Amino acid sequence: MFYREAGQFKVSYAADQAVFPIAQDRIAMLALLLIAFLVVPFVASEYVYRAVLIPVVILSLAAIGLNVLMGYCGQVSLGSGAFMAVGAYAAYNFAIRLPFLNPFVCILLGGFVAAGVGIAFGVPSLRIKGFYLACATLAAQFFADWAFLRIKWFTNYTPSGSINAPPLEILGVDLSSPTANYIVCLVFTVVLAIATKNIVRGHIGRQWMAIRDMDIAAEIIGVQPMYAKLTAFAVSSFLIGVAGGLWAFVYLGSWEPAAFSIDRSFQLMFMIIIGGLGSILGSVLGAAFIVLLPIFLNQALPPFGALFGWRISTATVSHFEAMIFGALIIFFLIVEPHGLARLWSVAKEKLRLWPFPH
Amino acid sequence: MTARTRSFNEVLLSVENISLSFGGVKALSDISFDIAKGEIRAIIGPNGAGKSSMLNCINGFYHPQEGAITYKGVRRSQMRPHEAAEQGIARTFQNIALFRGMSTLDNIMTGRNLRMKTGLFWQALHVGPAAREEIEHRQAVEKIIDFLEIQHIRKVPVGQLPYGLQKRVELGRALAAQPELLLLDEPMAGMNIEEKQDMCRFVLDVNDEFGTTICLIEHDMGVVMDISDRVVVLDYGKKIGDGVPDEIKNNQAVIDAYLGVSH
Amino acid sequence: MGFFLEVLIGGLLAGVLYSLVALGFVLIFKASGVFNFAQGAMVLTAALALVRTLDIAQKEWHWPFWLALVAGFLFAAFVMAIIAWASERLVLRKLVNQEGIILFMATIGMTFFIEGLAQTVFGADVYPLNIGLPKEPIFILESVFDGGILVNELDIWAAVIAGLLVAGLALFFQRTRIGRALRAVADDHAAAQSVGIPLNQIWFIVWLVAGLVALAAGAVWGSKLGVQFSLTLLALKALPVLILGGFTSVPGAIIGGLIIGAGEKLAEVFLGPMMGGGIEIWFAYVLALLFLLVRPQGLFGERIIERV
Repeated sequence: MFYREAGQFKVSYAADQAVFPIAQDRIAMLALLLIAFLVVPFVASEYVYRAVLIPVVILSLAAIGLNVLMGYCGQVSLGSGAFMAVGAYAAYNFAIRLPFLNPFVCILLGGFVAAGVGIAFGVPSLRIKGFYLACATLAAQFFADWAFLRIKWFTNYTPSGSINAPPLEILGVDLSSPTANYIVCLVFTVVLAIATKNIVRGHIGRQWMAIRDMDIAAEIIGVQPMYAKLTAFAVSSFLIGVAGGLWAFVYLGSWEPAAFSIDRSFQLMFMIIIGGLGSILGSVLGAAFIVLLPIFLNQALPPFGALFGWRISTATVSHFEAMIFGALIIFFLIVEPHGLARLWSVAKEKLRLWPFPH
Repeated sequence: MTARTRSFNEVLLSVENISLSFGGVKALSDISFDIAKGEIRAIIGPNGAGKSSMLNCINGFYHPQEGAITYKGVRRSQMRPHEAAEQGIARTFQNIALFRGMSTLDNIMTGRNLRMKTGLFWQALHVGPAAREEIEHRQAVEKIIDFLEIQHIRKVPVGQLPYGLQKRVELGRALAAQPELLLLDEPMAGMNIEEKQDMCRFVLDVNDEFGTTICLIEHDMGVVMDISDRVVVLDYGKKIGDGVPDEIKNNQAVIDAYLGVSH
Repeated sequence: MGFFLEVLIGGLLAGVLYSLVALGFVLIFKASGVFNFAQGAMVLTAALALVRTLDIAQKEWHWPFWLALVAGFLFAAFVMAIIAWASERLVLRKLVNQEGIILFMATIGMTFFIEGLAQTVFGADVYPLNIGLPKEPIFILESVFDGGILVNELDIWAAVIAGLLVAGLALFFQRTRIGRALRAVADDHAAAQSVGIPLNQIWFIVWLVAGLVALAAGAVWGSKLGVQFSLTLLALKALPVLILGGFTSVPGAIIGGLIIGAGEKLAEVFLGPMMGGGIEIWFAYVLALLFLLVRPQGLFGERIIERV
């Protein structure tokens, strides 16, 4: 009814190339952002912040990063947990070795270090493809797990291997409340998401997609595989590294290497498969879905089991969770490889024509 | 339309004594010919004669074991495909090689990637030089879209397009690079008469309007004899004929190759 | 020298066990072009089915050991058949003609599903497994070296089992009608189908055989370490083995396993102390990665020729 684009004429290429060419989409997006920044802080409880909002916001950023590499450039990575870890530990080391730096500056610097490490582990992608590359990124994962556990310099020789983030503040303003945590993460994610969207719709993004769709043809029309792949690795690792820094500094506060294990890599991969490969919006939807589902199951399964006289333990719930994730992955790969994002655009398409079927 | 008789003097590319083999299989042996600036040059021959391998050598995808290629006066034995692209060689493929997940517009825009220079930083901000550049190239691409009459499928993912249109988009992507030398690998294969006529018109127009030198592989003899200035004939990796269409029609070796005289 | 040999032999024997897991990968990859990430989950499931049946049959039904053992293996094989059937029917058939990487991700989904289901049904504790293999450490070559070389008898049995399996598989592939059909499918499944080879049936058989290989691996690893979730990590250890050996080569899986097993133990013992220890976790991967850069198709893999 109200979702109509009739009467909106594009008179310039700039208007035609806008991220949201349809006015209603622009308004909806703006409204969503306003709600996220101005309304949520007044209604969310501490539990909602810690359990839902902050994880979703940070993991969205990491998922966007992985999507750059896997969804846009077609390079499979099972090592995103490692790049989060690099971001987190690099940020930590900047913070303790250069104490005059603001913690958020450290997080950004950590992102750049992650980008460098990403480029190093991306070099094999110039020679190998597909699951060979997946194995190579797995090497990054295991190497990072080991390095942050065993090389004591990274953890500043703390005896337990567990480390604490510096206090969060900007210009003397304390940012340790959940609301402030949330807003800070949201700013990072929104700004970087917009920047990423700009890159993927420009010529670098097109090079990535060309490599993804047909690398040989891309090279023959003049795309340099090395430049395209390594920029994808760099941008992806930067985003994931910043997400890792936020996860460690803002969400966890103190952490151990296990916080960035291979499980995290799989979790991120599930987010973008379910959310939609090659979609920024999909990354966010996928992150929200994957964070919310276990919470839902933990709430819903035990009472449900009680109806039939079963006692469902938390271990069983986690097994159910694994089964449901597994089944969903297969379902989405078979039915809708472009994930929730595609379902959303199909719904919009229907809405445009409603109440007519065609 | 009858064969055109034009004369060319400047050589754009010359192939000297090229030999290429895969393991023990000889794909090309001792091939030499040249392509003059501004002409339409056809490569013909039965299936498996080595025509596609020849194009692959010219644009650097295969590296011949022997011989050299001189392009714009520079002699070389090896180069990478994207280097060939940088020096103005563009091509289309026998089995369409479009980027299936991208729209027609994005595919053709990708053809201009060599001319787009702004770095990651400006791209991320998408203001200033990046935005200006994007619009500038969009205008150039829209001209190609108009020229090929594919305005209606601008935003359609190419994977959903019918075969004939995909071929056209692929030509568009090659043209977007504004090449000096355009290699077309069977641009009319699998098309009906009407589509073939359209494609011939596009090829001739590209040659006339932009002055692009064209080297094409084609099986339809009617088309080849009509549109090309000179023809080179390959059979079993060897060159068996080279000349203007009329000469080729009367060349006994060529007739034998096509009619299948026992070797 | 004696110590070096001891580490080397220990590593080689552990490598045999990696080969066992890698074999399952190779079989499925050869026949269906699927890189089956779920192989580790299949090892876990097979071992769980085996150990639980064995426990219940002995403790609750008071069956004699040999009968319980037979029942355990039969039941585990049955479970593997169900998994083979389900993955062919519900996953592979729906994804036919998709790119390898999509199939790969689908098998990651299968991994989570199978692991979750197996642990829900069979339990998620550590179960000691005894299938009658001796576990005593023994000394060999005492006449050559002072004090001899310490090896675990179980490892030697594992090597024997692996050897028999490989020989059996080689015969199966080369000498039987089904084996020939398998090779045809591996080469070109559309062409195989057009000469009347039933694709779905062949895939089922391959997955079943891979399941049985997983059962053998699960039984041996389970006897060694106890049946527990960490068995799935073995699957990850098999990846570098595959990279070294090539994804399509049965002998490659064996030799790759030996190299990785030996390399990793030697590195841990001789390089590890210099680097803070625990390098076993990543050494195999880095070794494989370096190897990839030199020879992308693996030791025995087929050379890849790219075409346009």
